Amino acid sequence: MSGLLTETFLAALLSGAVVAAVPLILAGLGEQMSERAGVLNIGLEGMILGGAYAGFAAAVGGWGIWGGFAAGILAGMALAMIMVVFCVRLGINQIIVGIAITLGVTGVTALLHNVYFARTYPRLPAPEKWAIPGLSQIPLIGPGLFDHHLMTYAALLAPFVLMWLYKGSFLGLNLSAAGEKPEALDAAGIDVTRTRTTGALFAGAMAGLGGAYLSEIGSGIFVPAMSHGSGFIAIVLAMLARHRPVWVMGGALLFGLCLSAATALQVGGVEIPTDFIQMLPFAMVMAVLIAFGRKARLPAALGTPYRRGQR
Amino acid sequence: MIFNRSVRPLAGAVLGLALSTGAMAAEVKTIAVLTPEQGTDFGWNQQGIEGAEAAAEATGKEIIVAQGLGYGNVRPTLRELAEDGADLIIAHASGYTTEAIEVAKEMNVHVAVGATSEPPLVGMYELAGEKGSFLAGVLAARMTKTGTIGIVVSSESPNWNAQSAGFAQGVKSVAPETTLRYAIIGPAAYADVAGARRVTESVIASGADVIFGQGNGSSFGMIQAVETLKTPGGDKVWFIDVIGDKSSIDKGHLLSSVLWDMGPVFTQMVKDIEADTFGTASYALNLEDGSQRLLKTDHIPEDVWAELEDVKAKIISGEIEVEMVIEPAATRAMMSETIASAE
Repeated sequence: MSGLLTETFLAALLSGAVVAAVPLILAGLGEQMSERAGVLNIGLEGMILGGAYAGFAAAVGGWGIWGGFAAGILAGMALAMIMVVFCVRLGINQIIVGIAITLGVTGVTALLHNVYFARTYPRLPAPEKWAIPGLSQIPLIGPGLFDHHLMTYAALLAPFVLMWLYKGSFLGLNLSAAGEKPEALDAAGIDVTRTRTTGALFAGAMAGLGGAYLSEIGSGIFVPAMSHGSGFIAIVLAMLARHRPVWVMGGALLFGLCLSAATALQVGGVEIPTDFIQMLPFAMVMAVLIAFGRKARLPAALGTPYRRGQR
Repeated sequence: MIFNRSVRPLAGAVLGLALSTGAMAAEVKTIAVLTPEQGTDFGWNQQGIEGAEAAAEATGKEIIVAQGLGYGNVRPTLRELAEDGADLIIAHASGYTTEAIEVAKEMNVHVAVGATSEPPLVGMYELAGEKGSFLAGVLAARMTKTGTIGIVVSSESPNWNAQSAGFAQGVKSVAPETTLRYAIIGPAAYADVAGARRVTESVIASGADVIFGQGNGSSFGMIQAVETLKTPGGDKVWFIDVIGDKSSIDKGHLLSSVLWDMGPVFTQMVKDIEADTFGTASYALNLEDGSQRLLKTDHIPEDVWAELEDVKAKIISGEIEVEMVIEPAATRAMMSETIASAE
């Protein structure tokens, strides 16, 4: 094991942890806003997968990496519109619609992949990285933490932007009111449906962006079902972190670090049951978030459709 | 009322016996194959479908392909295929075993599964290329410049375990000083292409310049890592694949592949059903008939290929024995022991 502990190996582990965390951060932050507004988005997994396909297809099709991100956002928002129409506008059960979105997108993207990519399996070149001057030269941790694609840094900054939005803007207050006491928001003259629509669309956009990151930066290729449960992990992170965006990031980074730690243990030949090693990321994140976030609570009107005049 | 109370149990027993023997000595008209992913993965699913199609063509049977079924409950699909007239259903995923056996008994239809044999309805096929993987191990040992070789797998399925163990034995047979790195992406990470890339990048960063990858869809993540990274010393990284031939999409890093040809295996199943011997012996890939073999690419030097041919002949003759290891714990123990001895 000691022979493994080189700077290159540690950099790969840290870098891998960050890259694995970014889709969870983006999707988790989106889910958090949606839940804050009272919309439980179980379709997050499908939106990630839709964003992954759209982002990859756009990037391969000549739009470039950033064009791919834009396509991922659009795909996620288009899928979120289904949530908006059926759940926010028509008041249909959010869990059922969310599951339908995930199942439908899984099938559609597999079909599209089969039609367009399954014979050639196009791959994207390695993503261009931007090393932060000074920080990326820190021994051991610098190359792994501060030499990434620009979107990675944007994802790491996003929680702080949202923290300000929730605490320092009217939109943040409106979103909270839509999830906690929508009738009060309505009485104040703010359109609850529009506020919830904003939250749901933001969740779709962030999940789609996370998916595009997954296919463009994380893997450089699209294969069916490649989201591999990321959406559900992001939902758990958002729920356990409750109202705190930075906690979503912390949980996602902890998850990524545990994944890398599991790889390090295996590569080092540590002979403990693999199931235990692979349970580590999930167990750690849940333990930490439950231990430190148990006083927080979910919005009172989460998952409940709002109709004016109904109690 | 045709039967009185005393006769009814006897009639039921006779009817039950008739039904239970109905599957034996059957004429096979239609073969069905179920796969969890689309048959375009250059791997497990594609080879399974192509093997079933080859068997159908060789024996003159109809074929039904049900692909992309995922890893969830496939009982409804199994029942539907049986109702549609399938006489042999190949449940081509280790996760389908329990459900396939249930439906075999319920619908009185022959099924082929990967884990157990219960004649006359259930036949087991062991699709592991442990001997071909031994050859791949010898090849990797001859091609490595760093002296470190990686094995990356998407699960601890018996097939992958057997091949990982065969590969490790092959490496150690010719270069015992070689360092092996072994990493599992996840419990069932067959489509986790990002996880595959992340894990493979870590293994390459540990110095491995040959990656033996087993993953289905996630194999493409391993290939991405191999194509976009070099070792810490700047060496090119080679990839040895399993099951299928990805030469047509290779960008210069595909060293070889342990190929599986399932056609002969499925053909034998059809013959055995018609001869009332289905499930009495397990079905396996072997070097002798070429159903498992190593892919020859332009990247393999002639002298190394000649050595591989020699080793292959010795395996077939029994001069070299390849230990079959399928249990996860035994595989991990073998890998840990190998890593420890090298360090």
